[in-house]
Amino acid sequence: MSDVLEPQDDDIEECEADRAHRRRAAVVEVPPGAPWNAVEEAILSRRSIRKFKARQVPPHLVRRILEVARFSPSQGNCQPWSFVVIRDKAMIAEMEAYCTAVCKMMTAKMDYTNYRRGTFKRFVTQAKTRFLARFNRSALHPVPMSAMKLIAEGRFAVFHKAPTVILLLMDKNGVGTPEVDIGVVGTNIVTAAQSLGLGTCWVGFSKILGSNKALCEKLGATAPFEIVEAISLGYPIGNPTQHHIARQTHEIQWWEDGQKQVLY
Amino acid sequence: MSLPERKRRLDYIPVWDNPEEAVYHRVTVDLDVCDGCKLCTVVCPANVLELFGPKGELRARVREDFTGCMSCNNCYAVCAGQAISASAPYDFAGAYAQKRAGGFAFPRRF
Repeated sequence: MSDVLEPQDDDIEECEADRAHRRRAAVVEVPPGAPWNAVEEAILSRRSIRKFKARQVPPHLVRRILEVARFSPSQGNCQPWSFVVIRDKAMIAEMEAYCTAVCKMMTAKMDYTNYRRGTFKRFVTQAKTRFLARFNRSALHPVPMSAMKLIAEGRFAVFHKAPTVILLLMDKNGVGTPEVDIGVVGTNIVTAAQSLGLGTCWVGFSKILGSNKALCEKLGATAPFEIVEAISLGYPIGNPTQHHIARQTHEIQWWEDGQKQVLY
Repeated sequence: MSLPERKRRLDYIPVWDNPEEAVYHRVTVDLDVCDGCKLCTVVCPANVLELFGPKGELRARVREDFTGCMSCNNCYAVCAGQAISASAPYDFAGAYAQKRAGGFAFPRRF
């Protein structure tokens, strides 16, 4: 090991020749309205892909993406992540079956839109769900609930029938807020995959797997690690990255020279 | 803001299938440009789109029994002729209302 780390003579010479140049190259001037660079382009053209070709992703690309992800920023450099790459069809099917079963159960219990208006069942379910939503607003948002209904009805696959699924495990004992670090590492995975022509989609429903202890043990999601998110990976159907799309703009409060402006 | 007002705005949990409290579906299809290639129906995450019309003249449209269009614009991204797009965000009443948003825009260069 020590042989590898010792700097070679010619390395040192090169460093010294480079030093002055490096100091000068610190500022990159970008004029207003300059075209998008490669990173921006990858971010802008990324779509969440939910339909994949059957073709498997080559293993070296998955390694390459995870290698990039390894260099994501994290709080206190604690790197509170661990990846589980699942390319085994039987394993994905098992995960899929469990998530679908739970979604079915949850839909039956919570989704009041299943019952006709005016019925007693509808009244009770609606009151219960809207009461629970006060305490867990984001989880019981209409959008995940309607996705859950689609899954329960078999119109939608949890892991999108992707050839590769990457589970993001979080070390619960990480520094600060490790959930944020998982978000950062996942974003880098998704952007790197986009730049390699692969499609990805975040699978929030993968959290359901956490309630199945046997499956968690099988997947290596044991304490202090827990499943936080999953990313399905594969080659997209169609050409979803051919043009940019319109998205919502959000308020920007811009403080400068003692004044506040609101920009969009 | 008075207390009842605040409650109404911030605490109220909307009913998902009440069109007054939950607005989905702002997808528009340009039927002249649509060539019925089916890609948007395949790509839609909320399974909101379907094909209709006679064989050979298929066109895309929004299902009648939809909920859950999340204005992701995947249909626009995948459409070669740019015939379909979500033109406005979904919006809900009360706690789930879109806040501090300023409308749709394509990527702008500054």
